[in-house]
Amino acid sequence: MTEILAPAGSLEMAIAALDAGADAVYAGPKGWSRRPMESEVTEEEIEQMILYANKLNKKVKIVVNTYPAPFEMPLFIKKVTKFYEMGASGFIATDVGVVKLLRERFPDTQIHISIGAGVSNALDVKFFENIGADVIVLPFRWNIEEFNEIQKISNITLEAFLYNTIKTGKICPGNCIMSSFFQYRDWFAEEEKTNEHGSANRGSKECYRICQVPWEINNDADKSKSILKQDTNLIQEQLVDFVKCGVKVFKISGRERPIEMICKVIKFYKKVIRELEEGIITSLENYKEELEDLRAQWNNQKHKRVAVLMNKAKSYNKMQKEEVR
Amino acid sequence: MIELSTNISNYEQLISTDLTAYDAIYLGDVTCPLYPNNFCSDTKDLENAITFLKNLNKKCYLRLYAVPENKDMQWMRKLIQRAIELKVDAFEAHNLGVLLILKEFKNIIPIHFGVFGNIYTIETIKVLQDYGVTRVQPSPELSIEESIFIKDETPISTVFAVHGKIPLVASETCFIMEQNGNDESNCGFACSKDHWLTRQQGEWSMKDTGRMTLSGKDLCMVEHIEELLSKGVKNFYIQSHGESNEFIETTGKIYKDVINKSLNNEKISYETNVETLSSLAHEGLCNGYYFGSTGQQYHGRKLND
Repeated sequence: MTEILAPAGSLEMAIAALDAGADAVYAGPKGWSRRPMESEVTEEEIEQMILYANKLNKKVKIVVNTYPAPFEMPLFIKKVTKFYEMGASGFIATDVGVVKLLRERFPDTQIHISIGAGVSNALDVKFFENIGADVIVLPFRWNIEEFNEIQKISNITLEAFLYNTIKTGKICPGNCIMSSFFQYRDWFAEEEKTNEHGSANRGSKECYRICQVPWEINNDADKSKSILKQDTNLIQEQLVDFVKCGVKVFKISGRERPIEMICKVIKFYKKVIRELEEGIITSLENYKEELEDLRAQWNNQKHKRVAVLMNKAKSYNKMQKEEVR
Repeated sequence: MIELSTNISNYEQLISTDLTAYDAIYLGDVTCPLYPNNFCSDTKDLENAITFLKNLNKKCYLRLYAVPENKDMQWMRKLIQRAIELKVDAFEAHNLGVLLILKEFKNIIPIHFGVFGNIYTIETIKVLQDYGVTRVQPSPELSIEESIFIKDETPISTVFAVHGKIPLVASETCFIMEQNGNDESNCGFACSKDHWLTRQQGEWSMKDTGRMTLSGKDLCMVEHIEELLSKGVKNFYIQSHGESNEFIETTGKIYKDVINKSLNNEKISYETNVETLSSLAHEGLCNGYYFGSTGQQYHGRKLND
């Protein structure tokens, strides 16, 4: 059975997503997932989500995909144990050591390898399977050729984002600390977590998406201004191949997006994937217009989000300079 | 035994650079198999380089491509096989799949896990140790306190980057090649020329080498070598990807001199050293993340005095 895994940037979003048809939701505890604090949730909210999901026989996955500080592992273990005992169905992780630790401590939990792990070939995936991973989140730029290579050497479950494959621009999930080199804000001492330095990879304030704003190349503003990374789009025809190829989990990103938008996307893809699986449709031709409309709304919000993040980066930069003075 | 190392991509630069200051050289390029004549794409040059360095009584480590795709695995297997025959002193891997290949070869040559290996936790290092890893480079995002904790608590050795541009991104695609409208069949080696990315009226800058983006400013820890030595750091690394022979020679000499003087409790002229290093830095100096702040800032010695 294919699963739609939806974001839970808040308790309200989790409940709405599950009601809209998501089979599972993922939530990040404050300071332990790669999103701004506003899109992460408290332990109490996670407990509420789990209670609600259990009533519907659905699942809650806990996103712990940051790289913990080397000396905060005891705190990390305390946290994940609490979520496991609350009844969380699984964890989404990045750090090799964290994956091994989760598997050893919770043999029956489901471990997803986050996009942030930066896998670039099938052997990477095999490595994670060897240390206990159950599900691999496939990189955006991968297509069925790469999926087939994994299936030749591994039994791991495939999870894909509902984004199209794009192979241009800087492609570097898991291998980027650009944003924090220029700007980051320390995390507030909260949820017992006090060791925050560095990028969103480590749970600090946020990634400012500086790859998605124009940069001048060799100080030539007129001739060469370029963004470093191309934007992805909601998936269309590739979805047919992904379903055929045996992708079992489809993930929707957007913990920081409006709840209404998330619910629209869930309902659309839930319907389309079911029809593909049951053989009612063999392509997305009939849904072209509906999808275009959804894409336009999705992209519009994405661009606004990048602008907000850059403004935040500038304002923090200014604050920092004033503090130095 | 203290080790000072740097990296050299190709044979031409190897033989035309004075490497007196260095104890070990990382050969090859981690982010692009096509990077002009690098040792990963020419095993004959690799063989000559190993002979050259052994004659100089220096260790030679082979850097392996950090983000290999499935299509790269075949040539990487051949390269690894040949490097084992040539008895490199260590491999530098950055990729988990490559560790599986090394295991498949029953490799017994030491493996270093490099800057793109995302080393943040002791738990990760323990897993990697089971796959033959003997040395790690902590992520550049870690503070001195965190890196020292890793050094002290981990059962294997650690290397500390102390100078040079900080690798910020490893990409599977080449930004410069795309900008020029070329493809892999004719990339044109445009990365041989400097490419600077700037924003915020020049306040933000990065250097791009196509598949790797580096900090615009040079990490410089020359004023903190004494402190690192006092904390037991033994392996120091100068990042010199895309830098001139002069940069490699001068930075090496300065750091070697500071290390030796620190060990012998001799007086060190920090002002002159910083001035010289600053003159080699296109966009100025920084301390990266070592002092728990955003990467661009520079903290002088007084901070810790």
